[in-house]
Amino acid sequence: MSSLAALLWRARWRQQPLQLAVTVLVVALGVALAYAVQLINGSALAEFGQAVRSVNGQPDAVLRGAASTGFDEQAFVRLAQRGEVLQASPVLELDTLAVDAQGRRVGMRVLGLDALRVWALAPDLLPRPAAGENRLASLDPQAVFLNPAARLALGRPQADGRPLALQQGDRLQDFRDAGDVAAAGPPLVVMDLAAAQAGFDRLGRLSRVDLRLAAGAVPQQLLEGLGNGLRLARPDEATERASQLSLSYRVNLTVLALVALFTGGFLVYSVQSLSVARQVPQLALLGVLGLDARGRRRLVLAEAAGLGVIGSVAGLLLGALLAQLALSRLGADLGSGQLGSGSRVLGEAPRLQWHAGTALLYGALGLLAACAGAWWPARTAERLLPAQALKGLGLGQVHRPSRWRGPVLVVLGIALAWLPPWHGLPLAAYASIAALLLGGLATIPALLQAVLARLPEVRAPVLHLALSRAREARHEAAASIAGVVASLALAVALTVMVGSFRASVTAWLDQLLPADLYVRSSRQASDAVWLPAALPATAAALPGVVRVQGQRVLSLPLDPLRPAPTLIVRPLPADVAAALPLVGALQKGDGRWPDAYASEALASLYGAVPGRPFTLTLPDGRRQTVWIAGLWRDYARQHGALMLAEADWLTLGGSTALNDLAIWLAPGTAPADIEQALRQHAGPQAALEFAASGEIRTQSLAIFDRSFAVTRWLQAVAIGIGLVGLASSLSGQVLARRKEFGTLQHLGLTRAQLRRLVVGEAVVWTGLGTLLGIALGLAVATVLIRVVNPQSFHWTMDMHVPLGALATLAAAVLLLAALTAAWSGRLAASRQLALSVKEET
Amino acid sequence: MGTEPLLQVRGLTRRYGDTPVFADVDFDLAAGEVLALVGESGVGKSTLLNCLAGLDRPDSGTVRLDGLSVTDLSERDSAALRRDRLGFVFQAFHVLPQLSVLDNVALPLRLQRRGTLAEMHARAGELLTAVGLGALGARRPRELSGGQLQRVAIARALVHRPRLLLADEPTGNLDPTTAEQVLALLVAQAHEHGAACLLVTHSEHAAARADRVLRLTPTGLVAG
Repeated sequence: MSSLAALLWRARWRQQPLQLAVTVLVVALGVALAYAVQLINGSALAEFGQAVRSVNGQPDAVLRGAASTGFDEQAFVRLAQRGEVLQASPVLELDTLAVDAQGRRVGMRVLGLDALRVWALAPDLLPRPAAGENRLASLDPQAVFLNPAARLALGRPQADGRPLALQQGDRLQDFRDAGDVAAAGPPLVVMDLAAAQAGFDRLGRLSRVDLRLAAGAVPQQLLEGLGNGLRLARPDEATERASQLSLSYRVNLTVLALVALFTGGFLVYSVQSLSVARQVPQLALLGVLGLDARGRRRLVLAEAAGLGVIGSVAGLLLGALLAQLALSRLGADLGSGQLGSGSRVLGEAPRLQWHAGTALLYGALGLLAACAGAWWPARTAERLLPAQALKGLGLGQVHRPSRWRGPVLVVLGIALAWLPPWHGLPLAAYASIAALLLGGLATIPALLQAVLARLPEVRAPVLHLALSRAREARHEAAASIAGVVASLALAVALTVMVGSFRASVTAWLDQLLPADLYVRSSRQASDAVWLPAALPATAAALPGVVRVQGQRVLSLPLDPLRPAPTLIVRPLPADVAAALPLVGALQKGDGRWPDAYASEALASLYGAVPGRPFTLTLPDGRRQTVWIAGLWRDYARQHGALMLAEADWLTLGGSTALNDLAIWLAPGTAPADIEQALRQHAGPQAALEFAASGEIRTQSLAIFDRSFAVTRWLQAVAIGIGLVGLASSLSGQVLARRKEFGTLQHLGLTRAQLRRLVVGEAVVWTGLGTLLGIALGLAVATVLIRVVNPQSFHWTMDMHVPLGALATLAAAVLLLAALTAAWSGRLAASRQLALSVKEET
Repeated sequence: MGTEPLLQVRGLTRRYGDTPVFADVDFDLAAGEVLALVGESGVGKSTLLNCLAGLDRPDSGTVRLDGLSVTDLSERDSAALRRDRLGFVFQAFHVLPQLSVLDNVALPLRLQRRGTLAEMHARAGELLTAVGLGALGARRPRELSGGQLQRVAIARALVHRPRLLLADEPTGNLDPTTAEQVLALLVAQAHEHGAACLLVTHSEHAAARADRVLRLTPTGLVAG
């Protein structure tokens, strides 16, 4: 059997090298894209994990507080005295801004630690004084030590004792650049613990205590007697948080990459279907000579498996190359920011992490796609009747799939869309999309029959022949256009989803950016950096300023294993709907608790649903219950946000410091003038970022467009694959029908008419396929918008169908299909075909 | 008698590269005459038919049909010639599987675009009845036997009243009994429609049905 397969395969490669090469290329492309995404994700997380371990060391346990402002350092004192604690290293963590060599403010993490204790648990954090510095510089409250990433970010190649300014609140503090720490990962400044506590207004506070425990110690017992608001965290929490942070993004990107493989499977189906049709006499002869039905099936599958293996190997190599290129050019998060600033050591590309198991898995996927695509043609070869086939009467009794298969799959797809996510992943929704697509494709023959049967008989000979063939060969049509329909459906779905998302983001920006100018202290360090206290009053007094409104933004840790949501404090009008993009009706409380407004993500992740109380931990550690009065749409904070009225915040004892200021200007007032005036007033110490609302809108949408650029590329690849499948199919059909075309030339059809015949058949099939593709695409878009996005990213959007874009897409596909058919039809009109009616084969 | 022959072939020569197929073929065919062309396999009988039909260009010589020089026609005019004046019957039937039996027979009329659909179908129905398949118009070719398919092909070849019928081994795929029936039908229909018939065959028995027999050799035609 294997020698027979090899013999036939060699013959096929000689006869149709181009067709087989294209099939291999398509499988390779699908595997390459999916594998590249997997490699990038894996390398990123591994790099991040290594960086975290470098920074955090290898403690047995980590004591952390519930509040973002840390906990009382007395807990460390009591822990250090416990017999089961061998070593304890106290750490203060905070995010602030540092001033680089060009005077720009750069986000920076500061670690205050005890140099005499840190060496045992996190040796990479041990400060190393530069040459010329005192050996005990690590204890100097003015000395700071930078890691390699910080040096690169700040433009300070080596420690030279120069001042380094760090932002504390609304002022800058100078420290001395005294040396280095070896820790990998994001930019880091290490300093003495006491200096950090004093310098950043955290006296008596710690963020964590790293612990090395004696053998047999029970970590949970350590919490006894330490007071409330403390917990023992796992050392790998940060890595798990990063993994959770980007999980949905990574899964969705992987699914998108698998689209290419999915479409490639259809190409294999087209190629193998036609191959079987062309090889009917050979297969029938083999059947007569003794190759049984199962043997014929295995023969076809063996051929597909061969293509799959070659394509998969090529795909793995290409995928590794693509991943290496992407990591070096775009970083591990492909520029999306999903892995935060910690995902990449600035200036160094993450190392490609390769595992044999993963490579085998994705290689197997390529093989599976090829074999899955060849399954139905293999079954057709299995079922052909050799005697009838040898008489030239076709395949004999060909088993046709049940006409109910398509509708059943569509119904199944609809049902799957209603299922909830599995561990936060919309797997049922993806299965729904696959079922809808497969079901839709299975209806192609029935659809062709239903539509074409209703057409009146036409007199024009070429049109008559095209419609007759389209009707009669509708199952062949399914094989030919499956790739085009699937890829068009996916392209339509992505176009509608991205268009809807963009329209929703634009409307959201319009509602959340009502002012003309915005001033912000820091995007990254809102707990440690804020606007000057006098800034709002100063701004209000400027000529041309109509109104100002301040906002405080804080992190709101609710679950240590999840990225912290955001607490937003600002004045809220009586008509909240005018200020917030609300989703659903308001359910105001009875006054027992302050009203708060949860974002969709907060509701989805933490159960903060309207009409119920919600308990949270304030930044100072106090527990507070609020009433969730409404739900609002937020595309900026995927991990949740809670909006609280400023008056309520102040009543709860919250700080008056502000991070953001919105300024409304009188007509004709230049935002640049207001910016200049405010910078002059605030002085160089203040961390101020200015942006006009139009500028924010433009930048936001540019980031949005950049994030989805890869989907447009994937759409083009998928449609390209579909059209390659169509060209391959049509070329194969022309060859298989050469005697028919020769007969038509004998009967008096001109060559131009024969070319029009091939184009006409393709246009009829592709025309109906385009309509089906659009319908399927809209169905898939509905699942993406109503199910995948809410389950993955915890936000909703309004569906917006860009009719112009869809019409253009459909017209382009039809035109390309017609051109493809015209190219394939050249052979149909050749003189050689006219002479082929006499051929024995 | 003074009337020009329907088909005049003079000095027809065809070669593929340096390999000669046939040379200096001369013959005439009168209207209504059945001429059998015999010869060994590979001598070029089918190639000669293709040259007569304008599907292949001879290296030298002329073919005139109804006074029209076939060898000088453009591709469009050649196609028009086949549409209007020629009928073909093939060894392998070559009936289109996607059309019904009636539509197959009516196909030459559609290509001519003369008359209404109803008129075309009526004419096709007449021919089907003439070949004994009047009740099978709605069937698909896959439902018919080999002999029935060849009858369909004969009906299709004559539906548009061609001047010349070219039959290339029309009984080659049929059993002897069916072959005899089909041959008799072909000759009878040709006579009835007043079409000349050039019958290519390697069967001496089939050749005996013709009015005249010529044998094709590499050096030309000789009396059969």
